[in-house]
Amino acid sequence: MTMLSDRIRGIIGVPPHGTTARADSPIPTSDSRIAPESRIPHPESRDLSCLSGTWRGGCFVVERRYERTDRCGHDTVGTLADRLAEAVDEAPIIAGGAPARPPFIFFDLETTGLSGGAGTYAFLVGCAWFDEGGAFATRQFVLTRLPDERSLLAAVAVDLARAGALVSFNGKSFDAPLLETRYLYHRLPWIGAGLPHLDVLHPARRFWRDDESMASCSLVALERQVLGARRRGDVPGIEIPARYFQFIRSGDAGPLAPVLEHNRLDLLSLAGLTARLLRLARLGPAAASDARETLALGRVYARAGLDARARDAFRQAADRSSAHSRIRIDALRALALAWRRLRQHEQAASCWRALIDAPACPRAIAHEATCALAIHHEHRMRDLAAARVFALRSLESGVRPASHAAVRHRLARIQRKLEQVSTADAQPSLTDALNN
Amino acid sequence: MPHASAPTTTGLTARSRRDGALDAALERLAGGRVSVPDEETRSLNARPPDVLDRPDTPDLHVTAVRRLPAVPAQCAPFPASLDPRLRRVLESRGITQLYTHQAEAIEHALARRNVVVVTPTASGKTLCYNAPVLHAILQDPSARALYLFPTKALAQDQLAELHAMCETLARTGSGDEERDPSSTSPGIGVFTYDGDTPQDARRTIRGRAHLVLSNPDMLHSGILPHHPRWAKLFENLRYVIIDELHAYRGVFGSHLCNVLRRLRRICRHYGSNPVFLCSSATIANPKELAERLTEESFELVNRSGAPSGEKFFVFVNPPVVNQQLGIRRSYLGETRRIAAEFLKRNLQLIVFAQSRLATEILTTYLKEDFEGVPGGPERIRGYRGGYLPNRRREIEKGMRDGAVRAVVSTNALELGIDIGALDVSVMAGYPGTIAATWQRAGRAGRRASRSAAVMVASSAPLDQFVVRNPSYFFDASPERALIDPDNLHILVDHIKCAAFELPFTTTEAYGRHDVQEILSLLEEQGLVHRAGGVADLDAPEVEAQWTWTNESYPADAVSLRSVSSDNFVVVDVTDETRVIGETDFTSGPATLHPKAIYIVEGKLYQVEKLDVEGRKAFVRAIDCDYYTTAITYTRVTILDTFAQGRGRERFAVFAIDGSQNPQTAPDPASFHGEVHVVSRVVGFKKIKFYTNENVGSGELDLPEQQMHTTAYWLTVPAAVMAQLPFAADDRRDGIVGLSFAMRQVAQLLLMCDAHDIGISISGFGIGDSGFGPNARQSNPESPIPHPDGVQIFVYDNYPGGIGFSEPLFRMHDELLAATRRLIVECECANGCPGCVGPAGNTGPLAKMAALRILDLLTDDTPGLSAAHGPVDAEVQPL
Repeated sequence: MTMLSDRIRGIIGVPPHGTTARADSPIPTSDSRIAPESRIPHPESRDLSCLSGTWRGGCFVVERRYERTDRCGHDTVGTLADRLAEAVDEAPIIAGGAPARPPFIFFDLETTGLSGGAGTYAFLVGCAWFDEGGAFATRQFVLTRLPDERSLLAAVAVDLARAGALVSFNGKSFDAPLLETRYLYHRLPWIGAGLPHLDVLHPARRFWRDDESMASCSLVALERQVLGARRRGDVPGIEIPARYFQFIRSGDAGPLAPVLEHNRLDLLSLAGLTARLLRLARLGPAAASDARETLALGRVYARAGLDARARDAFRQAADRSSAHSRIRIDALRALALAWRRLRQHEQAASCWRALIDAPACPRAIAHEATCALAIHHEHRMRDLAAARVFALRSLESGVRPASHAAVRHRLARIQRKLEQVSTADAQPSLTDALNN
Repeated sequence: MPHASAPTTTGLTARSRRDGALDAALERLAGGRVSVPDEETRSLNARPPDVLDRPDTPDLHVTAVRRLPAVPAQCAPFPASLDPRLRRVLESRGITQLYTHQAEAIEHALARRNVVVVTPTASGKTLCYNAPVLHAILQDPSARALYLFPTKALAQDQLAELHAMCETLARTGSGDEERDPSSTSPGIGVFTYDGDTPQDARRTIRGRAHLVLSNPDMLHSGILPHHPRWAKLFENLRYVIIDELHAYRGVFGSHLCNVLRRLRRICRHYGSNPVFLCSSATIANPKELAERLTEESFELVNRSGAPSGEKFFVFVNPPVVNQQLGIRRSYLGETRRIAAEFLKRNLQLIVFAQSRLATEILTTYLKEDFEGVPGGPERIRGYRGGYLPNRRREIEKGMRDGAVRAVVSTNALELGIDIGALDVSVMAGYPGTIAATWQRAGRAGRRASRSAAVMVASSAPLDQFVVRNPSYFFDASPERALIDPDNLHILVDHIKCAAFELPFTTTEAYGRHDVQEILSLLEEQGLVHRAGGVADLDAPEVEAQWTWTNESYPADAVSLRSVSSDNFVVVDVTDETRVIGETDFTSGPATLHPKAIYIVEGKLYQVEKLDVEGRKAFVRAIDCDYYTTAITYTRVTILDTFAQGRGRERFAVFAIDGSQNPQTAPDPASFHGEVHVVSRVVGFKKIKFYTNENVGSGELDLPEQQMHTTAYWLTVPAAVMAQLPFAADDRRDGIVGLSFAMRQVAQLLLMCDAHDIGISISGFGIGDSGFGPNARQSNPESPIPHPDGVQIFVYDNYPGGIGFSEPLFRMHDELLAATRRLIVECECANGCPGCVGPAGNTGPLAKMAALRILDLLTDDTPGLSAAHGPVDAEVQPL
């Protein structure tokens, strides 16, 4: 061991030579690389048997099928396949308008880190789809040796090329950019750029994120709550890179097998959630299990420009929710804004009125509602007395001093008009018309 | 740049008016106080050059006045190969020919030779790199260039100029019929890419930028680790521009060298081989620095063809008001008086201050004196880091159009921000290096009329040395910029980053050390994994390589501005808890100890608690009239001696009183090697603002800090100590005083900042109990020197060392000679802050003892004949 090594050990915090486990090896740095420990000739004879895969085009591939009768939570795989097939036309609604069409390829990566950049690898690319018979087919590409990445990416590209849309969970922010970097790294074209991408995370948040019961909107939490599925002995995500590094160093594929299983279950849950979302989008409020899903449905329709369906969902969400629930508030407010966009001011006003009568209405929304009602009565209904009542109420509920000033201004104007009316008993003046 | 237009008559009038005003101000400043023999013969109408160009007078108020004659422009035609479209654009902007240095630099760049251009401020250096870059893009629209500026502000400053040129190019280029139309409207994309670039704009910039304007920090953490996304840039990278090259010295330079190693690795991967175009202010070794930073050979262009007007350089030393204590009149007051002389003659000036606080004080003074009616235009402005960008732009514009008559600035305006040409540059305090002084002086200087630069010395030792030895400044070469890219701490960090970016092959070299060995150790840590090669039965057909196998993003853990990214954060708990600053780990205890005063933008905070484990200091706003300095005890142990210098073989013959028998003793010698430094902050002093009075002190109990670093040291043999005709305490004071002065001179010679080096003494008393400004009180037993002698260490204040101690070792003789000069020439009686330290720190004989020790160390040493005594020490003026 040279002096340089000792100095570097001091810097990087490796215990000085002699105290490590390597002390028994006479020439530790160079010879350890050819130490016999489970290093066996490449490629096919390396013991990857516990992963039950095959070599294809220089790439190790693991294929599994979940048959129609297999279960994914409350439902069978076959049910998921049927629901997806029925609802493919609604996919663009969930995909934020992207022209998502079948075949859907579900994909999910396992990576050596979360930071991105040239040194973060996707060591496992999981792809899955429903085949014609309604079974769920998964195909996992495993990077068994780091230098094989290029052939892995080439093989993955062949599968992705068949897709009408990619479906992922948080893939728009994480998996797709990371995979794109790998293709760019190898100067290979990234096929994902031209494919519609349905990222289930965002609609899932809208539908199922519940402040009380689900702190995180993780896939595992969602599959438990929404699909009723439970995993046993699942690998925590945080362990996954270390398991891969262990495999790379030792050649022992044992620790990797549960990672592959984890990735397959992620793919299956992803398919389950997608089927549920598309079914909701197709059937509308009737298929929603509660007020929250109904409200979320309204928002999804609104984003997709389906205003009538959105209003219907908001109305039903308000009806289905209890008087004290926040969902009722949000639904009424969304409905009021939807009516206002359509210039249906009467309907909007009735929503605003329902809002200020709601016992759980937060101050900010009560303020918005009373302001809207004051405007409505002052300018459209020409009911200055009512306008004054609402303006006074919004002063009570006013949250910020800035909004106070605006309300006071309105109150003063209403007061002036009231005085004009009482002195001259005149027709609505020109200024009123202008203010309208 | 040579412009076609001739000066107008009104221009000439304004010019002579300005010249007259400047002459009058200089006459008032220097003329009346210079007692040269021919004073009587001077007529009132004499032109200032006759009056002012005179020998140095170290003991007077104005110690030096130098006249730098006007230099006419030297021009050269455009290189024949330069794209005619670019040439037309330049002509349309009034540039009909080039200065010689521009032509020379552009020729080199077009021939794909690395070039470093060293020319003064405002000599048109940007064209030296913009021309070849734009030429390359006109020739091949896929070509790319990367510009690196040390600060974001400089990149912004250049953006506007480049935009303007590219727009003109796009317009005129499309009218060209000789060329293929597809290549004539390139729509050259110029973008800054730094920490302020919004996330959603980044993808567009990566796709569309021909010219990427960035900084080393962003390259390091935001571009290189994501190189696949920048493939277009790296595949087509023709030029890398490094502006303000001289800024990359010490730690920052050592890091940049490694960032460039990584950049070149990635370029090799993408098959490009960029040419480096660098510009630097005047330093001693621009070519060497460029070659060390990029590890490629360079052409040097250092003969400026730009014209410059006549310039006067004046050194002012505020007069002594207390001879005994060596206290001088306040240099800030003196600066205010001098600035006023120029301002009241309506000359435009910049005043450089050494700190943010001094900047604000001087701005206040000058506003009091010269600000017009309230609400009117602001004629006096301050400028420093911490001002918002909009305010800065407004001040810069005010300077350019003349609405602002004076700006008081920190070094923020030293670098190339465009504020136009000014009449006068006044420096309150010596900027610390020769190079920085010339650069600040260069802020004043018009092509056709006279300008002046005035340096007002403070009472700091460095200032006093320079102001009293003007020839040191005017005749010596400026400092060398030093880097040590193979500092193991820095190197290992960048090897991690490089492995993250691209796997290392098993034959690859990186830096001076054996990278393969370092990678093996990183493998033990689980950071990289070696695969492939015949030795790998698992992958024998694959080329062997080391791949990054860790979850982390290593660049995040490496800051280019410090050796280790470990730091303390400063948490303000006055109102709501918020982080207001950070300090690197090494200087944490000294600046953030309990009761320390921490200053941010002139606002004072007191440290309430230092959480060393949690790396946090909790501070609360306070209103007080003092600041604090820590008292640090340092103990140095020698680990390894790399080199040692020759001392005298016999010194006993120099015994002073003759009473001792001549004896032989070990050589007093100089050394360079690796040391272990243990330091502990044991207390602090409260120093009053403005007067610098010591108004109190406190004791502290903080944990030790340790580091390995490199050091230069010299040994004063016990026999020399024994010969000193002083009591033991006074001998010790002599060593303390000597080291105080040596530290200042070392800083001067090394072109480094005060915190870059540390000093320590060992060899007194039992157990080397340390050294500190008040070591006398706490180490009563210490005056007894160790039998092996006393050692004075000057060490690199960074783990692993950063390359200061080795050159210092080589400059040993120079160091001692200059230290001697500093002490001998000081006017004080018994020591002062300008030489061996303030009188309170050491006894009354420190100065005398320090000189005697130096005499014994340097007498008869060859090559130092000029440094024998006060008379000889006078270096001949020009």
